[in-house]
Amino acid sequence: MKKIISTAIAVLIVATGMAQVKFNLIVNAQPPAQLSEWGNRREVLTLIVTGQGAAGNQYKIKTEIKLLDGTVIGSADLAKTPAFTLNSTGTTILVANDVMPLEFMVFTGKYRTSLERTGKLPADNYTICVQPVNIIDYGPLGESICKNFYLATTQLPILMKPYNEEVIDSKKAQTAIIFRWTPVVPRPTSPVTYRIQVFEVLPTQNPVQALRSNQPLLDKEIQGATQFIWQPQLPFLPYDNETKKLPTFIWTIQSLDIDHNPVTRTDGNGEGRSEPLIFFVNPDKNKKPGKGN
Amino acid sequence: MMRKKITTSILFLCMFVVTSFAQDVKDSLLDKVKDKAKEKLNVSGTMGVTYEGYGLCRSPSGWTGYQPRRPWNQVRFNFTPNFKFGKNFSLPFNFNFAAIPTNFAGPYAGIKKQNFGQFITNPLNSFGINPKYKWAELQLGTQYLKYSDLSTGDIGIFGIGVDLRPKTFLFKFFTGISQQGINYIAGPPTVTGAYKRRNWMAQIGTEKEGKYLFALNFAKGKDVPASASPAPITVRPQEGVVISLVSEVYADKGFYFKGEGAQSTFTKDLATPLSPVLKSLKPFMEAHTSTLTDYAGQLGVGKKSKNFDIGVMIKYLGAGFQTIGYPFLQSDKLDYTLNTRINAWKNKMNIVASAGRRVNNVNNTVLKANQFIGNLNWFTQFSDKFSLNVNYNNFGFQTASGFNPYGIKNVSNDLGINPTFTFTGKKIIHLLSMSYNYSKYDERDVLTGLTTSNNTHTALLTYVPTYLEKDISPDFSILYFYNNVPGAKITLATLSTALSMQAAKKKLRLRGQLQYTLGKLNSFSNSNNLIASCNIDFKLTKKLNWNTFLTTNYFKYGNEIIPNGANYVETTCRTGFQYRFDTKKAK
Repeated sequence: MKKIISTAIAVLIVATGMAQVKFNLIVNAQPPAQLSEWGNRREVLTLIVTGQGAAGNQYKIKTEIKLLDGTVIGSADLAKTPAFTLNSTGTTILVANDVMPLEFMVFTGKYRTSLERTGKLPADNYTICVQPVNIIDYGPLGESICKNFYLATTQLPILMKPYNEEVIDSKKAQTAIIFRWTPVVPRPTSPVTYRIQVFEVLPTQNPVQALRSNQPLLDKEIQGATQFIWQPQLPFLPYDNETKKLPTFIWTIQSLDIDHNPVTRTDGNGEGRSEPLIFFVNPDKNKKPGKGN
Repeated sequence: MMRKKITTSILFLCMFVVTSFAQDVKDSLLDKVKDKAKEKLNVSGTMGVTYEGYGLCRSPSGWTGYQPRRPWNQVRFNFTPNFKFGKNFSLPFNFNFAAIPTNFAGPYAGIKKQNFGQFITNPLNSFGINPKYKWAELQLGTQYLKYSDLSTGDIGIFGIGVDLRPKTFLFKFFTGISQQGINYIAGPPTVTGAYKRRNWMAQIGTEKEGKYLFALNFAKGKDVPASASPAPITVRPQEGVVISLVSEVYADKGFYFKGEGAQSTFTKDLATPLSPVLKSLKPFMEAHTSTLTDYAGQLGVGKKSKNFDIGVMIKYLGAGFQTIGYPFLQSDKLDYTLNTRINAWKNKMNIVASAGRRVNNVNNTVLKANQFIGNLNWFTQFSDKFSLNVNYNNFGFQTASGFNPYGIKNVSNDLGINPTFTFTGKKIIHLLSMSYNYSKYDERDVLTGLTTSNNTHTALLTYVPTYLEKDISPDFSILYFYNNVPGAKITLATLSTALSMQAAKKKLRLRGQLQYTLGKLNSFSNSNNLIASCNIDFKLTKKLNWNTFLTTNYFKYGNEIIPNGANYVETTCRTGFQYRFDTKKAK
């Protein structure tokens, strides 16, 4: 009985001391789909905490991810999440790693499976709600604040033309080569800059090696459009009877955002570069790409 | 520093020529003495050095609208001898390297001064030695090893390993470094930086060439977080393991089956905290909050024969499937294609066709995208005088709208018709080839729903006379290109001619080419482009070749750009010596 009374008094003291914890939550409307990436970008989620209770008092953050209909699909395990101490100046700024520590977040059903396999939640609209709670029985210390956000993986362009291993007549290639690719999906609010690069593959190189080591013959930035007509202004070397190789090129698109950074740093190579394709330029119609190519 | 490198390289180039001549003389003198030794030792291969120079002169002075596209100077070396001792032992070298780093994409992008470790592992350079005794091969230095389509194959690793094939068994292991740590430099020029990456790979299985292959693959890569200081800003230290099971069976009558299933466990950021929630892949790696585990598979079945091939290929890559061995692989897709090849009419008709569909959003993490891909190439040799080639390609891409009013829909269609006529005279064969291509590209605006059509017409006429009694072969061509999209019309007309000939008792092969292109964008004034090039291949001795390729390119813009009258001249020179040796042939 004595224990119960003292616990009740302690809870009352904590509750009284922290009664006025106030959250202000700022969430990017279209954050990175990779949830682990939220912690690397301060602009994704900011929680401003102000409290009028005594400085030094502690609280935890009850974080929930919901669908728009209110179904909770993920919540913080409050037994494991860290406790925070009220700042003496009255204001504390917390970021994604503090508010939504993934190592202590528990997701349900298909959302958990999706997160384990892809690091992402299925493309949809979600709500994140945060509420200050006391560290003993997790009773509320302030209002729950919610913000909506939309998640969809940024899908890099898929290269369309020249298609993989296309053999282009050198007479045509010397005048113009048309490049086409699909746009970044979903289309971002700010225009995407597509950086098209074409690399020559030397006879001693494999295509990806050439991409990673040579200076590009074409390095052009195109804003918004998904086609580029290249006038190579190159006389292509004749068919090499020794190596039996046709002049070979590898091309790719790097997708850049308005700040000139890759649109996605978490998928694939981290450089926002699409899967490259190779094409051949045929100076002699009777020659086909050999095994050497 | 660079001047020193170039001077050294040119010195090396001169020494190389002298040495090669000397080598020839020395070879002949020592031939008799070495006859006996040669019975046991055979050396074949090539060695060479190539210099590449590039020049760009832009006008008016100070205008930077056109950027250089080759290194100003570059020297490349190759040394690829294969020493064979008797029947069972061989010692092949594969050394290809360049004096100046020119990386623009990937971990070494922007690097100018490289230390020795970076030079050795730079993808620009290869230093590989593969001594082999019967079924045992030791792999040393740079190796580009492809174990399978889903495990590893696109990256070069500097390290050590083995490839053992006793009877039908297969055991491979390799470990090394695929990239060194590179410090971030804010620049300009900016160096993105990279973490040192260690790699391990192994394959165990059984194989009978042309019959079957069953193998279990393992590939792991791990970055060393402390290997770059300052650390890269946009690159995260990563770790990944792929385990795959691959099988291939080739049955009678050309039937075949190929399949592979793979699981990848990949940590996108080693700096993220360890996760008790996610499954670890112990003892190979521990799960962080950014660790993903996903699957991939591919399956191909079909039949191949002399005149008819047919095959079905299905490939699935889960959205979280990622492998360090294929850094540019785009995951989250399901492809299925049907391929066929038909030879008919006594081999005079050849049809190659494929049709397929690609579906993204397998894991529902992206907006659904559907693509149709179709290709057809139909060649018919109607007679000795007339042949016709027709090709058609289609690529369609469509997604849901997401938060835009309309979804993306891009469709590319290309049709090409290419008849060729050949007339044979007593002293000359005339070849006349015509080609017409129509390319249509429709793109829907996601905000208005309006579709813009981009149409391109290309017509080409080529005439190639072949003189039966002369050592010259000229060719002439004329090309018209027209692209029309709302707001822009581009017209290009090109005239080109080339001449090949041999001289100096066929020791000298020459080829010259001249090309003029007149361009027009909308109602702006014409642009002009003149390209001249020359190939000189000179056989200095039986074993030593001197190859030179010279080009110059003059381009003058119309008044579509400011400053008006902007123009540039580009020159390229590639010259090099190649020495071929084969003691067996020499004997």
